[in-house]
Amino acid sequence: MNEDDLALRNLTFARFVELGRAPTADEVAAAGGYRGADVAAGWERLHAAHALVLDAVTGGIRMANPFSGVQTSHRVHAAGRWWFANCAWDAFGICAALHDDGQIETSCPDCGESLRVAVRDQRPDDESLLFHCLVPAARWWDDIVFT
Amino acid sequence: MNLFRSEEHIERWLAGRDQGTTIPVRKLSELAHAWWDDRLSPTWRPHTRSHNQAILDRLGLAGRFWHLPES
Repeated sequence: MNEDDLALRNLTFARFVELGRAPTADEVAAAGGYRGADVAAGWERLHAAHALVLDAVTGGIRMANPFSGVQTSHRVHAAGRWWFANCAWDAFGICAALHDDGQIETSCPDCGESLRVAVRDQRPDDESLLFHCLVPAARWWDDIVFT
Repeated sequence: MNLFRSEEHIERWLAGRDQGTTIPVRKLSELAHAWWDDRLSPTWRPHTRSHNQAILDRLGLAGRFWHLPES
């Protein structure tokens, strides 16, 4: 990743946090003095480098890990607002990235029961829950949305 | 990558699929904080494979399941 793409990546993530949602290419272009087409082309390179994940249809941001650009079943309240995470790992990752305590709300994929976990000083308040990962690390990026 | 109430719920949800792996939520939180802590830093750089593998190793997440791809 070259310095220009790194700067675009950092600006994109910064705008995500400022807006509380995935920015559009035009919003990042306006913030950084780019052309919208240059942002879209840069995002394609960042997608290829696994620095973010684009929606295959719209070209918009699907994931700026650990943040999700779309609604999911993993919600996190941290730094004064609600966020969507890509998975349970990323839900804790949002607290980590924002350097804040948080409240995670998700549900058991088996029975649908709501699961709520508070994170205080990096520790969950309910330590009885289990995290399950289906896909081995070597294959996470084969299909990151499924993973 | 989901949270479950218990092993029983995981087994039922898998319905015979390959098992994957399960860790306590406290370990997950440790992993997430080590993995994502620098994500919004203005001096962020992409983690190397060896950096990420070292995080997994340090947390005791060893073995074939947690082995990151070489390239």
